[in-house]
Amino acid sequence: MLIEILFIFIAVVLASLVAARAELTRVRGGKILAFVTLFILPVAAVGLGYSEHMERATSTQFCLSCHVMSDFGRSLAVDDPSYIPAKHFQNNLVPRDHACYTCHTDYTMFGTVHAKFRGLRHIYVQYFGKVPQPADIKLYTPFNNRECLHCHAGMRAFEEEPKHSKTPDMMSRINSNQMSCTSAHCHDTMHDVASLSSATFWKGGR
Amino acid sequence: MPNPPQTPLVERRLRWAGVLIAVGLIIQLTTFIWLHPLAFIAFAVIGCPLVAAGVLLFLYSLVSHQPAQDGDPGS
Repeated sequence: MLIEILFIFIAVVLASLVAARAELTRVRGGKILAFVTLFILPVAAVGLGYSEHMERATSTQFCLSCHVMSDFGRSLAVDDPSYIPAKHFQNNLVPRDHACYTCHTDYTMFGTVHAKFRGLRHIYVQYFGKVPQPADIKLYTPFNNRECLHCHAGMRAFEEEPKHSKTPDMMSRINSNQMSCTSAHCHDTMHDVASLSSATFWKGGR
Repeated sequence: MPNPPQTPLVERRLRWAGVLIAVGLIIQLTTFIWLHPLAFIAFAVIGCPLVAAGVLLFLYSLVSHQPAQDGDPGS
């Protein structure tokens, strides 16, 4: 972060220098300076800035900065392990600084790009559309087991869990997303923001 | 930005290119202060276009520049 800021600051200083002293470009060295300052550095600075913004957009704080998401943030502190996001957040099963992104990105080749486009859509709705009530917010598509299996596949606790082998083909159906991890009576309690008013909250971890 | 009289056109364009790029990058820097979707919007909608305009103006100043014909080595 500091390196990006320093780089962009240097680019600003040099661009200002060329703006203030354009006559420098009358000599060969000035021409090179102008090319570096007015072409190479700005392009690199915008690239760095874009990269930095993309990284910041994966942070939990960023996701929760919109008011409509605040209840989803509170749900991470519910003192009930049946709340899957809360259990993952409180036990560091996902990085707390990137909790939302860790579960809600797609673990595919262009998953990050898709996640960014969804984020842009959220921004559009936030400022130009009709913002739904938190309890009315749903996923665009059913949660794909792929996102769970990104971490859980191969885990001993997952593989040897008796509930995952109730039927002979259950594990293969889970792995192929034919049977959702979030099926009823499985891991079906997610953020459940409608019930937060009656929930108790974990005070630790802050 | 005030230009001294007799300033060549290419230098005026370079000045404006420098100004646009500097302003765009300053806006980009300020968006790092705020961790919010609007900061990204400001970066993408204000900062980036200003920098792009500056870079394009610089490139245009290069291709539209007619070198002096009197052998001026600085041209």
